Amino acid sequence: MKNKKIINRRQFVKDASTVVAGASAIAAGSAAGVGLFPKSASAANVRRDILRIPGVGKGSPTDSDWQKVGALCLNPTKARVSKGEFDGVELTFMGLNNQNLHNFLFRGFLKPWEKYTGAKIKWIDLAQADYNARLQQSIATKTVDFDILEMGAPFEGDVCGKGLASEMPNWVKEQIEMDDYVGYLKAPVGTWNGKTYRISIDGDCHNFNYRADYFKDAGLAAAWKAEGHKGAWGVPKTWQQVQEVSKFLKGKKDPTFGGDAVGYLDPCKGWGGFGFYFLASRATAYAKHPNDPAWLFDADTMKPRVNNPAWVRAIQDVIDVLPSQPANQLNADPGTTAFQQFLAGTGSMVSWWGDVGSMAKTSDGSVVGDVVGFDILPGSDDVYNSQTGKWDTLPGGPNYAPNMAYIGWGVYVMARVDSNSKKRKAAWSAAAHLGGKDISLWASAYPSGFQPYRNSHFNIDEWVNAGYDRGFITSYLESESNSYNHPNAAIEPRIPGIFQYYSVAEDELSKIFAGKFDAQTGADNIAAAWEKLTDQIGRKKQLQLYRASLGLS
Amino acid sequence: MTSTYVGTDHIPVKRKAIGQAMILIATILLVALFITQTLHKAGSIAAGFDNWRPVLYAYLIWSIALCWGITLIKGERGQRALFVLPAFLFTIAMVIFPLIFSVYISLHDWNLSAFEGQKFNGIDNFIALIGNTYYWNSMLNMVYYLIAILFEYAIAFGLALLLNAQIVARKFFRVVFLMPLMLSPVAVSWMLGKSLMEYRFGPAATLARQLGWESPAFFSTPEIARLSIMILDAWTFIPFMMIMLLAGLQALPKEVNEAARIDGANNWQHFWEITFPLMLPVSITATVIRIIFKLKLADIVINVTSGGPGGATDTVTSFIFREYRDRSNVGYGTMMAVVFLIIIIIMMTALLNLLNRWMNKVT
Repeated sequence: MKNKKIINRRQFVKDASTVVAGASAIAAGSAAGVGLFPKSASAANVRRDILRIPGVGKGSPTDSDWQKVGALCLNPTKARVSKGEFDGVELTFMGLNNQNLHNFLFRGFLKPWEKYTGAKIKWIDLAQADYNARLQQSIATKTVDFDILEMGAPFEGDVCGKGLASEMPNWVKEQIEMDDYVGYLKAPVGTWNGKTYRISIDGDCHNFNYRADYFKDAGLAAAWKAEGHKGAWGVPKTWQQVQEVSKFLKGKKDPTFGGDAVGYLDPCKGWGGFGFYFLASRATAYAKHPNDPAWLFDADTMKPRVNNPAWVRAIQDVIDVLPSQPANQLNADPGTTAFQQFLAGTGSMVSWWGDVGSMAKTSDGSVVGDVVGFDILPGSDDVYNSQTGKWDTLPGGPNYAPNMAYIGWGVYVMARVDSNSKKRKAAWSAAAHLGGKDISLWASAYPSGFQPYRNSHFNIDEWVNAGYDRGFITSYLESESNSYNHPNAAIEPRIPGIFQYYSVAEDELSKIFAGKFDAQTGADNIAAAWEKLTDQIGRKKQLQLYRASLGLS
Repeated sequence: MTSTYVGTDHIPVKRKAIGQAMILIATILLVALFITQTLHKAGSIAAGFDNWRPVLYAYLIWSIALCWGITLIKGERGQRALFVLPAFLFTIAMVIFPLIFSVYISLHDWNLSAFEGQKFNGIDNFIALIGNTYYWNSMLNMVYYLIAILFEYAIAFGLALLLNAQIVARKFFRVVFLMPLMLSPVAVSWMLGKSLMEYRFGPAATLARQLGWESPAFFSTPEIARLSIMILDAWTFIPFMMIMLLAGLQALPKEVNEAARIDGANNWQHFWEITFPLMLPVSITATVIRIIFKLKLADIVINVTSGGPGGATDTVTSFIFREYRDRSNVGYGTMMAVVFLIIIIIMMTALLNLLNRWMNKVT
């Protein structure tokens, strides 16, 4: 038996805080630090120290961890706000209440901020599925009852376009170091008519998560060869390969956990509109041509492309591999595929936001932390050209088009605070605290609902020093940065009502996957419903906004 | 004493005049505010309020003035009216007005994301609904769900008979059988639908595997998914029917039972010839109430299947929920709800009439 000291999370935090407290006490020339984490921890140390809370492999973070992180990241606030400056100010924050993510974290992060500034925050917690409806109702009925809003970029057309958001002051831009954002999150995302409204706290895209153990397994490699498949056994790089591997794995055994081997996991059940992103992730490589920024609608007419051969092929791909997936897949939503299946050891490939990567090693529910790998979404050997109506084979090889699904969460301050300068400053200060450079590093590294979105997040040494395995974190971060920076990335249109389009599609897809329609008929139904929706919302303005979101005049 | 006497014959004219003036002033205030705010919202005049709250306050003032005024005008008769009037005014505010407002909204094209806001579109929503296959699919599912009530009734009756018999630990079982009714359907969705019946680790799935069902997916094929939802819903509400039937059984006259036994009726004859006919009124009441509950079935469906696979488990309410919540299609969603309400009213009225006639014949 190895003589190895076992450290639990409580002990680890205690040790870490002792070290930090001692160091800062010396720096401050004081005999004793004040509080668990003193104010004077240097900026460089802050990043190192917060990444140790609670520590990689030490289980899921708790409220006390979030508060410690919030306290350690208060220095930018202290530089601009004096203690007690917001006494008497009460702010209302509306966001998601997903278990141990989003508002759960914000509460912890903001408690030290509240204590220091004197402001109080009231919370409006919404389930993911209720979020869209609540926000839309507030906008349409002009009953905005919140001062700070956690919101995804797809809603900017609804909120910023209708004058409901407060313009970001310059001091906030400096505090949050906006220049550090990855390219695709810079303007026009977060801006409207040239004004900046959004503090990014997330940088969403779908990446490809796979089980490395499957693709290193000698038994599966031998079987692959024996069955006469082309090429060596390895991680699929195209959707054509994903299909082939998924069918091949049916009837085989999971090399690590011993159950049935499963290939790609498709979510077939609706998820309040969010489920459509997963079909989109399959479709972008087919539908997003490098010579054409549009992929969801025609940029001249708003005619849906969802029933063109590219999308129908993606739908057909799902139908084709459904028999190779777990028997209950028709009742699996994206939450199931990521958290109850992939992270729990079922399935070898899944597309998801970065949460899978950030939770693989830090969540109590994950068993795949040591066997997971990451890449950008698979490509396709050919890509559909909507201009010519033909499939093109690109000279450079497969077409890749990472899906920038949702473009990330942001924090927005509502215009209703503008009439009160103290409240306005308080609201922006709270938002800036949540969107700070250091705090965002922690949120990227631990379960939070957010993924890396700043150039500074891709400093691999920082993650390795925090306890991450270099191979793991390199694979994860590269899958993210290569997606963000991909020249053919498929950017989601920021048009009003986008989730209505997705929700209608989910209903039709459910019928297709249940065998009620073939792929083309179902896709035609989606297109017809989308046309109707565009007319209902207002085709002319939708077209304008869609073109603007694509960078077209 | 005379100063507080408000008998009909002795109400001073001045007092009546004060009462009439109160009602008149409050009515003028209410009507004026309502018209002003309506014109303001329609964009016809600039004067008005940001929201309708002042009109609500005017309604409250008018209600108080009406109640007070009536006692001043009518005296004791007015005081008697106060036993009913506040409840009536409350019903108008909380039931009648929202219903009328719902019908008004249902006649509009109102998507919350639409740039032009709400637009009156007459019966276009109704015409669209007629051709909506999702709506009629969910309506057909409702028929299946309603048929399931017959089986629920049979099980509930069996359990009620059992708990009415002299069995060991009868009180304990009565409490245990009632427990599912105490649970929220949302909790049932998670406890049973998403945990017990979970495909990989759920105890029900594990048991099914041991019994030879290779892939125990309870929500992946249309028929099995629908049946699973029926079972979840039945598990929650069978206790409700059971407790009503049990109360009915306990109220049955003992003399009839004893006479039947003396006449030599066997158990089946005793049940079929005596107990069942005597229990018909209770049975019908329990079934009708259960039908009303069943027509509102949504929470379990929304949580467990989202209406899938392919709409196989969708209910009208869960579909309306999606149309309203996920698609912000307020006008159309409201039209669906209004039409469903009208169908329910017609169906329940017809059902009660039929049952009344049948009961008259039987008894």
